[in-house]
Amino acid sequence: MKLSIGNWTLNRKLALLIGGLGFLAIFAGSPYKGFTSKVDSQELAAIVQKEVDHVSPEELAGWIISGKADYRLVDLRKEAVFAEYHIPTAENILLPSISEGGLSRGEKVILYSDGGIHSAQAWFLLKANGYKGVYILRGGLEEWKDKVLFPRLAENAPPAEVAAFEKVKLVSTFFGGSPQVGGAAALTAPTMALPKLDAPAGGPVKAGTGKKKKEGC
Amino acid sequence: MNAPFFKFGLFGDDVSLIAAFVIGIGFGFFLERAGFGSAKKLCAQFYFTDLAVFKVMFTAIITAMVGLFWLSWLGFVDLSLVYVTPTYIVPQVVGGLILGVGFVVGGYCPGTSCVAAATGKLDAFVYLGGIIVGIFVFGELFPILSAFYESTPMGVVTIPQYFGISYGLVVFLVVLMAIGGFAGGAWVEKKFASTVKES
Repeated sequence: MKLSIGNWTLNRKLALLIGGLGFLAIFAGSPYKGFTSKVDSQELAAIVQKEVDHVSPEELAGWIISGKADYRLVDLRKEAVFAEYHIPTAENILLPSISEGGLSRGEKVILYSDGGIHSAQAWFLLKANGYKGVYILRGGLEEWKDKVLFPRLAENAPPAEVAAFEKVKLVSTFFGGSPQVGGAAALTAPTMALPKLDAPAGGPVKAGTGKKKKEGC
Repeated sequence: MNAPFFKFGLFGDDVSLIAAFVIGIGFGFFLERAGFGSAKKLCAQFYFTDLAVFKVMFTAIITAMVGLFWLSWLGFVDLSLVYVTPTYIVPQVVGGLILGVGFVVGGYCPGTSCVAAATGKLDAFVYLGGIIVGIFVFGELFPILSAFYESTPMGVVTIPQYFGISYGLVVFLVVLMAIGGFAGGAWVEKKFASTVKES
């Protein structure tokens, strides 16, 4: 009996083909490495220019209150300060391990650090590695404190601003902050202590409170 | 140009729906042409007289698997962007059993029932009615079932990751399993064709 492939049925040829490709796969290594990303500096520059990669603290606060879960909030600061205070729903991933941090390329990732520098660096690292939905919390934790935890209303603010501040106050107390009214003197007020993590801010967002706040908004 | 096209932003939501529609029609067409619009043909696999369903599905699995592996290796597909369903081991085993029992009893799986309904088969319409009632009952009972539904979560995990073996080895083993299954299937068909007399 001659073993000539020419006489084989189509099924056998296909089985041989797939068997061969499967066998070679053992030696091919990880398929994930085959993908190389090119940094399109033009595109990245355009994104930076248009600021479409920013999420404002107010937006983020709204998402947390409404219990949105389609994003990963990443705190880039050191473990110790993370344990002290972090924005609810955040997870702690340090800059060196950002690529192995379990983030996937298709996810919406929001980065924050104290100011904006570390998150900007992490943003570039992730973008260059082909992560698509990477965003920066505008102004980092500093602006989160200014805009969400300790919002300030000037003493001689016009009535429209005072009315708008009512909503800001609700958001602020939701996160365990304290709205400030008055001039610069209040900056050092003892009420500006960061909320404890077991305060409402640290716990999971309950449906009941979320609804109430939504009405308030 | 790299795939997945949607994740790389080559087209938006609207075009993706059109693409899904075209792929869905194609899928249904080939299921029908393979004879999977008939409950008799589908059920024959459970009596080992006709393993066409097993062969077609396993062929599709290994073709897609080997194709994705090599396309990704060559850099045409970014596998890390391909959606992987999270694993909830116990609820998924139970769900698989329920689907299997439903398949044997009803003669269709959800996809093939749509194919059979498209060619006007009465039993397929009854089956589809059952699907809709089942979806409604499940939805209404969901508050009671949700604890079980979300139990034993393992997150997004693949076989190579879980067992710590290489991706290529898993590809090879599944291909071996398929080729063995095809050869064994042909043997089983011959054996049972003589014992079971079909009309």
